[in-house]
Amino acid sequence: MKRFFLLVTVLCFLLAGCGFDAPSTVSGTSTEIVEEPSDTASVPESAQHQGELPASQPFDVRLFAMDTYMELRAYGDGAEDALQAVSSMLTELDQLLSVTDEGSEIYALNHGEGQPAAVSEQTYELIEDALALSRNLADALDMTIYPVSRAWGFTTGSYQIPSDSQLQALLPFVDDTQVVLNERDGTVRIPPSAELDLAAVAKGYAGDRAAEMMKQAGVRSALLNLGSSTIRTVGVKPDGSQWRIAIQDPQDSSGLAGVVTMGEGAMDTSGGYERFFTGADGETYWHILDPKTGYPAKHGLISVTVLSETSFLGDGLSTALFVMGLEEAVRYWRANGGFEFILIADDGSLYLSEGAAERFSPIGNYENAKMTVIKP
Amino acid sequence: MKPMIQTKTWMILFAALLALLIAAALLVSHRGTGKIANVYQDGVCIRSIDLSAVTEAYSFTVTDGKGHENLIEVAPGQIRVAEANCPDHVCVHTGWISDGLRPIVCLPARLSIQLEDTAQSETEGLDAVIG
Ligand SMILES: [Zn+2]
Repeated sequence: MKRFFLLVTVLCFLLAGCGFDAPSTVSGTSTEIVEEPSDTASVPESAQHQGELPASQPFDVRLFAMDTYMELRAYGDGAEDALQAVSSMLTELDQLLSVTDEGSEIYALNHGEGQPAAVSEQTYELIEDALALSRNLADALDMTIYPVSRAWGFTTGSYQIPSDSQLQALLPFVDDTQVVLNERDGTVRIPPSAELDLAAVAKGYAGDRAAEMMKQAGVRSALLNLGSSTIRTVGVKPDGSQWRIAIQDPQDSSGLAGVVTMGEGAMDTSGGYERFFTGADGETYWHILDPKTGYPAKHGLISVTVLSETSFLGDGLSTALFVMGLEEAVRYWRANGGFEFILIADDGSLYLSEGAAERFSPIGNYENAKMTVIKP
Repeated sequence: MKPMIQTKTWMILFAALLALLIAAALLVSHRGTGKIANVYQDGVCIRSIDLSAVTEAYSFTVTDGKGHENLIEVAPGQIRVAEANCPDHVCVHTGWISDGLRPIVCLPARLSIQLEDTAQSETEGLDAVIG
């Protein structure tokens, strides 16, 4: 009869979905770990009889952090514990880096009235890396754009078109080269009226840390979706095949533009369609702002996808290339390398770096799109 | 010969066989219907709906006790947020969903709706959508 009960228990797990009955919570966090229902074929009989879930059984965690919705999936031994640890890490990171949370380190810096303040080693290093990337990307990325973003209502969802004079008054403070890092005492100084926001790279950074934690816990296969525009993978799929990630059609929210196959690494997308509003003037205003002008960046691209080793780089680059526009993006890539790209221009044509073209197949409305492969 | 033990063994085998048959039947029926939408509040499932068993459209409201309200509409094979009092209305603009690839998310209300990926062929074996 023991076998019978074990079997029934396993089946209950498989059939429960996320439960028609009372939800179960994992103490201490606001996440739930759910055994995914699986096809009979993928559950070896021996595993059922031992009352154990097979190694390829995925574990899922869903959580709200960093102003986004994250879905983390990991397979195999240790996956469940690793996901638990990762979701705690993400919640903690969110608390450290939040611009709005009064208890965060970034909040303290932004409200330090121009005085240097000490931050944790981890935050210091992240700011250092973010500023280095921003410097490398010149005018296309600035970690102090937040006050301008707030003027547009992109930080709250209460959208509005700020007056030109309002923007002109804010722009002098958008200059992250004025942030002063002091290595000796580990302090950071933000000039008065400027505000630092690491949002452009925070999810990517979180993805890299999560992937690192997964690997240290012995997880060999995981798909970390850090808010639909940042994906970080660990290894390949449990069956040894590559991950297949589709890029959303920027002109049709229910459509897809193409599929990318990838092993371990990062994939990041930026598009104006992610967060936008239509003004009383009938114009579309989106959340990717040009740090030079304070206005939405409209330089001919509607979707930018970056494939890179780390999601930190991909996260920052996808935004920056979007701001640059096609020609400058290609020039940057040729000068720097280290990543691959898939660009969708506003006329519906595709521009791919050579390495990305090998891994990309267009689908849906893009099946017959004009495709230009760019060589290094 | 130990007839008692033999009977017991047969009983266990029979029970196991019966359990397997029930399991197989349940799994087949589960796969046959196969379109479960889960509604999560702050990552915790609060409601599961078998969309393939829905014959007539209906709706219900989810509240979070902090003033957020989302009116969820369920129809045969699909689900959407029909109305919400969040400022951005991203959840409403997402429209109907009928596959497991893209969830509906309302960030202010910390609400998400997701279909369990059952039939892989429906979504061309994709693992995720980025955008
Ligand atoms: Zn909403």
